[in-house]
Amino acid sequence: MQESDFFNGYKAISNVWDEMYASNLAVRSPYERVIDYLALESVEDLNKKEELAQRLFMKQGITFTVYNSGEGIEKIFPFDIIPRIITSAEWDFVEKGIKQRLTALNLFLKDIYHNQFIVKDNIVPIDVIYSCPHFLREMYQVGVPYDIYVHIAGIDLIRDENGDFLVLEDNLRTPSGVSYMLENREITKRLFPDLLPSCGVRGVNEYPTLLYKNLQSLSPRQISNPTVVLLSPGIYNSAYFEHTTLARLMGVELVEGRDLVVNNQKVYMKTTIGLQQVDVIYRRVDDEFLDPLVFKPESILGVAGIMGAYRKGNVAIVNAIGNGVADDKAIYSYVPDMIRYYLNEEPILKNVPTYRLSNPDAREFVFANINKMVVKKTNESGGYGMLMGHAASEQEIERYKQEILKAPRNFIAQPTIALSTAPCYIQGKLQPRRIDLRPYALCGPSGIEIVPGGLTRVALKEGSLVVNSSQGGGSKDTWVLTPPSPKGEVTKI
Amino acid sequence: MPEFKIQHITRYTYDGPVRDSANQIILFPIVDIYQEVLKHDLSITGNPLVDTHIDYYGNEVGSFTLSEPHDQLVISSNVIVNTHHRPLPVDDIFPEHQWDALKDLKYTVPYIDFLRLDYFEGQDDLQGIVEAEKINHETPYQVALRFCEYVYRNFEYIKGVTTVETRIDEIWKLKAGVCQDFAHMLTEMLRMVGIPARYVSGYICPNRNGMRGEGATHAWAEAFIPNFGWLGLDPTNNCIANETHVRLAVGRNFSDCSPVKGVYKGPYGHHLNVSVSVGYKDDEPEPEVNLFVDKVVKPSTSPVTTSEPAKNSYQRYLEMIQQQQQQQQQQ
Repeated sequence: MQESDFFNGYKAISNVWDEMYASNLAVRSPYERVIDYLALESVEDLNKKEELAQRLFMKQGITFTVYNSGEGIEKIFPFDIIPRIITSAEWDFVEKGIKQRLTALNLFLKDIYHNQFIVKDNIVPIDVIYSCPHFLREMYQVGVPYDIYVHIAGIDLIRDENGDFLVLEDNLRTPSGVSYMLENREITKRLFPDLLPSCGVRGVNEYPTLLYKNLQSLSPRQISNPTVVLLSPGIYNSAYFEHTTLARLMGVELVEGRDLVVNNQKVYMKTTIGLQQVDVIYRRVDDEFLDPLVFKPESILGVAGIMGAYRKGNVAIVNAIGNGVADDKAIYSYVPDMIRYYLNEEPILKNVPTYRLSNPDAREFVFANINKMVVKKTNESGGYGMLMGHAASEQEIERYKQEILKAPRNFIAQPTIALSTAPCYIQGKLQPRRIDLRPYALCGPSGIEIVPGGLTRVALKEGSLVVNSSQGGGSKDTWVLTPPSPKGEVTKI
Repeated sequence: MPEFKIQHITRYTYDGPVRDSANQIILFPIVDIYQEVLKHDLSITGNPLVDTHIDYYGNEVGSFTLSEPHDQLVISSNVIVNTHHRPLPVDDIFPEHQWDALKDLKYTVPYIDFLRLDYFEGQDDLQGIVEAEKINHETPYQVALRFCEYVYRNFEYIKGVTTVETRIDEIWKLKAGVCQDFAHMLTEMLRMVGIPARYVSGYICPNRNGMRGEGATHAWAEAFIPNFGWLGLDPTNNCIANETHVRLAVGRNFSDCSPVKGVYKGPYGHHLNVSVSVGYKDDEPEPEVNLFVDKVVKPSTSPVTTSEPAKNSYQRYLEMIQQQQQQQQQQ
């Protein structure tokens, strides 16, 4: 095997799971074919491919927005050309784990907005629920179609040093990034056209079809062609590209709040031929902005009266209103208990150990070991408002501690996890970088479906542990392989 | 067993035609053994369909929309209510037992919501006062009455210095306000010593010698007294809210009970005019008097004013849109 330069000197980080190299520096079998293929390419060829990928992203406007960066707000999402590979056995495990978790989370949301059995049985303490700003009393006793609250989840998984998958966050409100999963695959098809079938990579492109099928099935009106819309906050939102992409791929109208109006507890879309009743809304607007009559009165992104239409069951809203209570990072720590409570099963996927800082003992422990901790706000996402203990200065830590002491309920801490690494093509060389995995699970009346794949985010800065796109992360195409056929040959598709 | 005829008119007038208004009303008197509704007529401009539901706190809430262009919206609620005197707490249980009973409620629904304190600047000062006022060996009932009197004596009743959005910080600094502010102050003090307290909106029906809060919707507080239940306390008049107080809604604070609120589209400002008149059985309601006139409020589509002088309102509008769109968490 002839090896190009780029392949030499790959320095896997010690005590970290590397997706490509086993500890004895042998290439793990799923990567063999890719590595063999890449080894035959020259550095120039690979550079060309990298350049092509960037040009394609730029030309197609596959961008996202970084806030508070001072410079031009729209950026392309950095893409690494080397795919991340997940074996079919690994995928089966992840898939089972996510299905189990999502089933429990949906049961939890139904319970918490109705009978609250889990609180009465002291599994989840009542004050954690009632102090959560996303526990919406407006949703109390409101029925939702098929008792599904989470229709789309973007559960973030990481792998620890043993290669075990752990759940970092559940993202049950408006998970984003699925358009990059789709676009990354399209780009990879152009970069390595022959590699995908020869490796037996499973397709992800049925995602929009599955999503559309689920959305349609939620229609309160029993009609053959219900009106489904995608409600976007607008062009300044970081995920606007995704909103347009999904609307286009599903063939539904992309609307903003001002395009909708509520009359007599029904939602209508303004069209050139008059009002058209809307049955299902896939919204990418936060709960508190959704209805200025019920939530934030100053919101100009929402639709006044939509909560009334939802309560009456005249419109389905995806994801349901009020999911934030299950997304709260303090409540996240109880998800394994929820699985045991509702399903009478042991959790397949483990949580990252989490210290709730409202507990004085936990707080003391965390403060004493802050260098080994990541402290997060319970109600933020996207990597905002975090403290990475190992990288922060004394003053930063002191300031953060003061903030914690003001409202300890709003913080949790987790030990810094050595995220797994995967090879990335950076400056003509393969280099290990930290990654995570976000599969997109769709929950509909006929069950939970997860397209085999997801978004692998990568911390492109050397040594960085933060993969969030808002914090300078990039992404990779994520390959889930078909199970090897009995002969050991890969099935062709 | 007094019977009251209450006429409550809410009138919004707009400077021009507005449309697509969505509104929420909490104007349905609570029905229980101390209060029965004999008749309730509701008439609204344009006769929209009013959909009602029961909210988290057990209040009946109505909502309706008015999509056609309109330049005024009048919500006229005419109620005949019959109230019954509720005997006062006997209060013959040892104080410690009563306080212990309250402690047990801290982590139970619904009391947890009526015990939660939100941090505000004057909290430490208030805590000091609350501690001083709470004399050992007094029962929760006695403490509640004392706090009610404290608010009545130490806060000045002045109309117009506060609005529905005034926060407890400001009330504390001003030491003045109207019934709503008094009620907020009292609920905060009661919660500080562990007595569950809720906000009540309703009407006060005076016994003809005049009481504060007539002519408009009224607000007071309720304290949870062991072995008794919710006791109405009116800090604006320093009295127990009993058969002269007609309850419309209960909640944590004003915004849970807001009698009328709405959102509309259009470039025009609005004026709000509320009148409440109360008559006894067989009497005609007293003539309508406008006792509460809201200042002109900018329509919801107008920009929030900022302190930056250089930007015109169009630029500020764009900025606001941008900020709100960016705030949407895409996880």
